[in-house]
Amino acid sequence: MAAVDVPYHLVKACRGIIFAARGSDIHSFNSSFEHISTWKYPSAKGETQSEAQSSPAPEGPPAKRRKLEEGEEPASNGREASSANVNGQGKPKGWQDSNPALETPWIQGLYITSDGHHVVAITNSDKTIWVFEHDGAGNLKQLSQRPMPKRPCALAIMPDDRVLLSADKFGDVYALPLTPSDHLPIPSQHTLISRSVTPGTPSTTGGSTPIPRLKADETVVHTKRNLKALENQKKAALERKQPIAQDNRPQFEHALLLGHVSMLTAICVAQATSPVDGKTRTYILTGDRDEHIRVSRGALAQAHVIEGFCMGHEEFVSRLCMVKPASGQGNDVLVSGGGDDDLYSWDLVHNKLVGKAPLLPRVQEVVGEEANKLAVTRIVAQKDEKGSWVWVICERVPALFRYQLQEDSTLRHSETIKIPGNPLDVAILGTSSSTRLLVAMEPSEQGFSSLLVVEKASEGETDWKQTPVPNLPEGSAPGGVKIGAEELRKILYTTESLRKLTDFD
Amino acid sequence: MGNAKQNKQSQKNGDSAKAKRDRRQKREEYRAAMKQEGVAELPRKKFYRQRAHANPFSDHRLVYPPHPDMMDWSVLYPDYAVDEPKEDTPAPAQESSEQSVQEGQQETSPESQSQSIVSLNPRKLSKQVEVADIGCGFGGLLVALAPLMPDTLILGLEIRVSVTQFVEDRIKALRLKHKDTQAYRNVGVLRANTMKFLPNFFHKGQLTKIFICFPDPHFKARKHKQRIVSTTLNSEYAYVMRPGGVVYTITDVLDLHEWMVQHFTAHPSFERVSEEEVENDPCVGVMKTETEEGKKVERNKGNKYVALFRRLPDPEW
Ligand SMILES: C[S@@+](CC[C@H](N)C(=O)[O-])C[C@H]1O[C@@H](n2cnc3c(N)ncnc32)[C@H](O)[C@@H]1O
Repeated sequence: MAAVDVPYHLVKACRGIIFAARGSDIHSFNSSFEHISTWKYPSAKGETQSEAQSSPAPEGPPAKRRKLEEGEEPASNGREASSANVNGQGKPKGWQDSNPALETPWIQGLYITSDGHHVVAITNSDKTIWVFEHDGAGNLKQLSQRPMPKRPCALAIMPDDRVLLSADKFGDVYALPLTPSDHLPIPSQHTLISRSVTPGTPSTTGGSTPIPRLKADETVVHTKRNLKALENQKKAALERKQPIAQDNRPQFEHALLLGHVSMLTAICVAQATSPVDGKTRTYILTGDRDEHIRVSRGALAQAHVIEGFCMGHEEFVSRLCMVKPASGQGNDVLVSGGGDDDLYSWDLVHNKLVGKAPLLPRVQEVVGEEANKLAVTRIVAQKDEKGSWVWVICERVPALFRYQLQEDSTLRHSETIKIPGNPLDVAILGTSSSTRLLVAMEPSEQGFSSLLVVEKASEGETDWKQTPVPNLPEGSAPGGVKIGAEELRKILYTTESLRKLTDFD
Repeated sequence: MGNAKQNKQSQKNGDSAKAKRDRRQKREEYRAAMKQEGVAELPRKKFYRQRAHANPFSDHRLVYPPHPDMMDWSVLYPDYAVDEPKEDTPAPAQESSEQSVQEGQQETSPESQSQSIVSLNPRKLSKQVEVADIGCGFGGLLVALAPLMPDTLILGLEIRVSVTQFVEDRIKALRLKHKDTQAYRNVGVLRANTMKFLPNFFHKGQLTKIFICFPDPHFKARKHKQRIVSTTLNSEYAYVMRPGGVVYTITDVLDLHEWMVQHFTAHPSFERVSEEEVENDPCVGVMKTETEEGKKVERNKGNKYVALFRRLPDPEW
């Protein structure tokens, strides 16, 4: 089978510094793509692979690689077996522990605080959130490693840069202090109880271990099913002779804020001003596989209050993005996308659909008329003096789609830029007068660079210049570590698998 | 999946396969007869039985509106429609499916409803649904509440197809039987997974009462996440409820009772209703005696644990 280099699959830019994740590593570059540093996932063998400062011990149970528990995820619909294989989790067919590319969990999400002082990453199969201090010059120092109870799918950072929100596959959203030395600004009585945790008293720091007792007693039994359950409980209690109750709550400070009974796919924090009282409020937006976008209060002690739902999607939601109006006047517009043919824009305060912008026809122009569905993988906002723009990429579609936010908050397609490979991620490098994007692409067997700069050098130009990032320096250049092309695609392309099966006809 | 299992069983025992086929045929004939207009005979449960559990995390073949504004309630409560039927505006109903077909039963929604409850331009009703029975089972509570609250629209929500069909046929027969008094026009039933899709059917603050009667206990700790009450899900109950509204719970399983109390009291949008108020609430008695499960527990002389929770107003923010 054809093998390719492990590509950069996540890119983020902040104040002239570029962070790019490749497999389990995070690299940093300056804006001329000179390599600055590498963080490597700590090797299981304990040898120091990290160029960064030695990592403190993880707080909480050691990250263990284990098989997916049966029925662990709410979206276990029989097809999950395939989509659960995100980033090497659940050992896809053909998994080889010997493949060095898959020995450690891949980075699944990369985030930077608004002040640029911290970088946050999630690794998928070990469900871990990593926080790094960033010195502003591209050097990372690992501050914490926090394994979560369920696999995080997406993160958001509160506007004050002090609190992380982790949205997981089970449907729950947890708040964590960004730096573990800090505390959550939430009184403990305001945290909810997880339905996935074995019973006990709610607490923000883990608590006493409850002793299980029989849950069915003879007086309540009235069906065959209940009788059987009681029997089983007795048997189980006998078998283990003494009560065992595992408290699987993390040992670091965390609080359950809200939860969907669905797999979460996107989370985003927004601020909007009410036209009624003129007050600006913070909202937590969560998107799920069951077409919902929930709008909850962003005052953390009140995050259990649902302000509304942005209802209208008919397929899974995979991305949420807040877009600033070009005029700078008025609230940001929520743009969402997923498995639907259109991009949706929303008035957040009123939970009202403002418009839908067709995306499928644009995709068809790139990949052919036969394409009858799409899966949005990124929506990125960019604002310059010419307007407010939204860049969109879709799974396995080799193009960047650019939409312009209109005065009426709808989106209008402005152009499609075809690129030589399937995009994996996109980051805005320069705004102001010239537009400069960095695109991570699926590598080809011909071995072109998987990082591409797309830019419009000057205002007058109509064409976009595409420049592969050349000759990445030693240690950061792909090489040595190879992965089967098909296996790589299985790891990278998991969004379409969120779609539900429809076999009505 | 389900089919493969069934085939294997059939091979093992040809007789039982034939018996099963016969039974299925009988059931189909019976249900077809029930569909005919003008059947006032009450449906018989034995033709509508279905395995006890439906996984709330699976996709199923559910039909639900993408937005509550696209729900055509006139299909369930035609007598409350205030405008004429509109030209059929086919709307994109959400449809999803599960691959397995269990026990030879089509996992589709009751035919009489499935295609028409979703509309881009639904007919308007003079009132909206205000009372919901979540996991209504065979509909005993609905039928008992209907005459008690004759001016209120009451809705049963049930995830199992055949059970929903039973309740639909039951309501149809009751309406016919009580044609002269116009009774039972205010109750309806929908097939729905309430753990996921309440916001597809209801607007914010729409409901004044939610009943959760004898929910599946899911004894094992590993299955607790399937319980229909949890603090996180309670946020959705709070969302569809009006401040002052009440959630009624009843169960015969002490552990589940304690779980529901714990999860509702831990949720800042709810407070437990006092003992005294509970005693004076006429709905409590109905819930104890008129639900099918309540009757079963009665026969077995089991305990019934009742707890009510009031939706509090949201704090300023
Ligand atoms: C034990 S029965 C109780 C029925 C009825 N309330 C009574 O008291 O007689 C629980 C019912 O809840 C239904 N149910 C379970 N999960 C559900 C869900 N997510 N949405 C709708 N109904 C559900 C089951 O199918 C079952 O009919």
